[in-house]
Amino acid sequence: MTRVEHRVRQPAEHILDEFPERSEFDVVVVGAGPNGLIAAAYLARAGLRTAVVERRQEIGGGLSTEETLFPGYYTNPHAFYHMMTDYLPVLSDFDLAAHGLHFVKPNVQTAAVFSDGSSLALCHQIEDTKDSLATASPGDAAAFGRVMRTWRRIVDDLLAPGTYLPALSPIDMIESLERTDVGREALRLTELSPLEIIEETFANDRVRALMLYAACQWGLDPRESGLGFMVPLMVDRAANKAQCYGGSHKLAGALSREIHRAGGVVLDNAEVTRIVVEQGAVRGVECFDGRFLGAAAVLSSLPPPLTFGRLIDPAAVPAELVEAAEHWEWDTWSLFTLSLATTEAPHYAADDPWVDDALMVVLGFDSTDDVLDHFDAVAGGRMGERIGGHATVETRYDPTLSRVPGHHVSFFQVHAPYDVDGGWEARAPQVADELLSVWGRHWPGLASTEIVQRSTESPVDIERRIASMVRGSIKHGDYNPLQMGSFRPSASCVAGRSPIDGLYLCGASSYPGGLVIGGPGYIAAGSVAEDMGVAQWWQAPKFVTRYQDRYLS
Amino acid sequence: MRDERFDVVVVGGGHNGSTIAAYLAKSGLSTCVLESRPECGGGQENTEVRPGFRIDPHATYLYGGAAPGFDQLELGKYGMRMVYYPSMAGVVTTDGQAANMGSRWRPDLAEQSLARYSPQDQAGAGLIFSELGETGARELLRALFWTPPHFGESELDPADLPWWQVFRERLPQFWSDRLVDMNYLDFLDEFIHWEPLKALSAIGAWYCGAHPGWDGMLLQALGGTLLYQYASGAPRGGMHTYAHAIIRCALAHGARVITNAPVGEIIVRDGRAVGVQLAEDAAFGEKTIWADKAVISAIDVQHTFQGLVGRRHLDPSFLQRIADISLKGGSLFVMSVICRELPRYHGRADAFPDEVYPSCVVAPGDSLEWIRIQTRDAYSSRTGPTSFGPEHLTMMICTHDVYDSTRTVDGYHVLSPIYLEMPPPAYDVSGPDGVNRHKDRITQAALDLLGQLAPNMTGANIVDVFVNTPQDSEFRNTGMVGGNWYGIRHSEDQWSGNRPLPELGRYRTPIEGLYLCNQTSHPGGLCLMAVPYNLMHILIEDGIADPGSWWYPSPFYVPDPSARGAA
Repeated sequence: MTRVEHRVRQPAEHILDEFPERSEFDVVVVGAGPNGLIAAAYLARAGLRTAVVERRQEIGGGLSTEETLFPGYYTNPHAFYHMMTDYLPVLSDFDLAAHGLHFVKPNVQTAAVFSDGSSLALCHQIEDTKDSLATASPGDAAAFGRVMRTWRRIVDDLLAPGTYLPALSPIDMIESLERTDVGREALRLTELSPLEIIEETFANDRVRALMLYAACQWGLDPRESGLGFMVPLMVDRAANKAQCYGGSHKLAGALSREIHRAGGVVLDNAEVTRIVVEQGAVRGVECFDGRFLGAAAVLSSLPPPLTFGRLIDPAAVPAELVEAAEHWEWDTWSLFTLSLATTEAPHYAADDPWVDDALMVVLGFDSTDDVLDHFDAVAGGRMGERIGGHATVETRYDPTLSRVPGHHVSFFQVHAPYDVDGGWEARAPQVADELLSVWGRHWPGLASTEIVQRSTESPVDIERRIASMVRGSIKHGDYNPLQMGSFRPSASCVAGRSPIDGLYLCGASSYPGGLVIGGPGYIAAGSVAEDMGVAQWWQAPKFVTRYQDRYLS
Repeated sequence: MRDERFDVVVVGGGHNGSTIAAYLAKSGLSTCVLESRPECGGGQENTEVRPGFRIDPHATYLYGGAAPGFDQLELGKYGMRMVYYPSMAGVVTTDGQAANMGSRWRPDLAEQSLARYSPQDQAGAGLIFSELGETGARELLRALFWTPPHFGESELDPADLPWWQVFRERLPQFWSDRLVDMNYLDFLDEFIHWEPLKALSAIGAWYCGAHPGWDGMLLQALGGTLLYQYASGAPRGGMHTYAHAIIRCALAHGARVITNAPVGEIIVRDGRAVGVQLAEDAAFGEKTIWADKAVISAIDVQHTFQGLVGRRHLDPSFLQRIADISLKGGSLFVMSVICRELPRYHGRADAFPDEVYPSCVVAPGDSLEWIRIQTRDAYSSRTGPTSFGPEHLTMMICTHDVYDSTRTVDGYHVLSPIYLEMPPPAYDVSGPDGVNRHKDRITQAALDLLGQLAPNMTGANIVDVFVNTPQDSEFRNTGMVGGNWYGIRHSEDQWSGNRPLPELGRYRTPIEGLYLCNQTSHPGGLCLMAVPYNLMHILIEDGIADPGSWWYPSPFYVPDPSARGAA
């Protein structure tokens, strides 16, 4: 991905002042994704001279809102479902809502429509979910209500607070969880696979299909044990997603504003080609155009194979990090998305009118076997026989995404392998047609609706847009037990600190992971502030201190 | 709801709105910018229509190199960076000629080309720039663009206007009274011999803002091309990076910038603008925002008065004149082509070698006659765009990625923008959507023509094509009235103190506290930071802004003695 500028011929004199060839900062952050921006915003306000250096023209990484349905229609091609807005400390620490950043969290969250037109809906309000599940299975409705009493506490009391604190070692983790019933239940679930958890909890196969899809759609392997504690999180968050009004990029814009107000700077179109390490300590970064930004601390939000395998002189990389870089496993799947601008909004043939209100509609699966076949196929490098995935009407809760009043922007997204026969450039139109036909089966009006614009984004496109998402890895690396918790990205990196003096890690490849949960950036900011001896102007949120009191004291 | 109150509220976060916000915030005023789209920058945009590929749907080169704003606002601190090009412009003809005019950094390229085709023009091309030198060029450009129009009472002979003053002083050997009344076409016919060079110069002027056929606008036409030569390059990554630097400067000085916040109304009380009402779907909790000192409309003059102020505050004669403002001039059909190979004109790799490939090629530029045909089609067409066959098209084809790899993916090129002049929707006899209805046919005609000129531009070489018509540009970017990139016509009737109307020529309006800061005021478009710079003089006169020692006024500025804050 590294750009080499062959042809630029700089004249002897500049006609206007430009960003300097050499500059000095306290902190330089590599990559202006959500975590890089979060870390920079905290540190800039802490009084450190902070620069963020970004390869793309637009900051935000996955917080991207682009006019991909050109001209006139915007999409959010990466992060669309914001699953942690109930917790993200940055929202309250910077009072972002007061500055016009608003998340819309509708009640009807994730609906599944089956081939016979029956449907199920996960709602923010649990009783609404139970009402829906009862149409398929009164027993599962009751089971859902019961299990969520515990699962919500696993999320609220343990996992959400843990997202914003450094990882515990496995032994410390077990020791702390043994203290409470909720903790012990989380430990029990850890030893089970998502499939086992769903099967022991629910009886109806369609309920299981929806729950399994919700549990695994962001990267848990349905049959792998070791990360079962994340099932409550994924199911709970599948009913608590929010959409950023005006587009996900607004969150990036809000953070950029905080950085600049505090005297920091963001430099875009400035791919970092080298993190300079001398005598075991970082000195700064070098950009592709030769600019050098010196810093006492460098925070890299890139995954290990890029940070350690490409940007730093190999002689300066400790052995354990060479290994982490070499053995890093990228996500086992990526995403393929078809986006449409249409004159009419999708209207599904379903037995429940609430389906049209759902933030996400799951289509194409009638059973747990269908869901398992789907994940197996993609992990095996194929598009499945039956295409299934999730669809969203982006303009349903954010009309600003269409410049033409009354028109709609929607997408249908499916898991997809990075490598496909023939390559994505050739396959994309055909896969898009298959998606259209699946979509059209559930949305009969699609055939008569005018499609004003259409675009696709394949795993290769994801990597082209955001180079750190290597092989389309939206989370910068697989979620498996060896790449999660204190092992993400390596046991030698604790609380964002790397063994190289002054080098910190703050991206989705660090604990606790990706999906705009904001943990890596928040944790790294705390470590940098501590190491550089500046006062932490922010305080841990109450849900975090409550967890600390109960589990870590 | 909290009380949202600022010293100044700026409606529109395009180039001019962002820049005036940066100026005012740096002056210590609490400032709020309201932008209807998800992203500020207006015409300074680089849309990533396909992952990794960025196109220029509107603005494309840095014309504002001589702007005082770069050092006054210290945009370098906020990430401003340039890429300078060895070759800015070239021309190809249907009969196999191809000339590379180089750039200010490589004048030798033009000399080589002209030695082959037209030795007698060798001395003429680039002459004015080389005679003026950087300092002289900057002075002339600042007189033309970075000076507020003189107030109505000031008595000036046309020949004493600031730009002619500088011209007479710096270039006495070229001065003659006739120049004041000339148009650029006549000038080219008189002084240039080789038809393709005339065509290139004329197209260059047209796309720099002043149509070569407009009388009395000779120096504006020359000045536009001088702006182009002055910087001879583009911001790193494209014009949006320049917008980022401006917006970040504003933010760093405490301005509030709110996107997805369309304004529904400018609130007028007792003849005075006191704030704005946001549209219902604005992404902001409080929908009424008060302005204690001024409301600045950085959207076009027609939307400002017809839409936001409303008829009840304005008299009918004024409103009629607003309605009659001419939108003709720069309505563009913009194509962007993603391809694997650069166009090889006439099938020759050596027509333009890669290392000095012109970032902009006028194709075909056979003669001024082609320009006259295209002008007639765009401004006087009675038959609508159906006459736009390949025989009537002249394209300006830009290829920035030759010199700036950040705009594309390795192995691909982005030809963007490819500009074609079109009738503005409001004047299209086949209806406002006339061009849109023929979008595919016009696109195909342009691609056919490109394929005739560069045989490799067919089949698998062309990966994707994106188009924004004038009508598309208008709905994407409401300030771009008529899809015209400079909003309203840059002719003498609508330039300098006449822009957009004589009573609005000093950026003040009939509504006290309401000021204009859009390209529909002097000196128009091109993202020069000029309208805001000029407006600052007026805001200082009116006692609204009091900038620090970083501020300096235009040396040609004539204060209005009746103004409140005048010294």
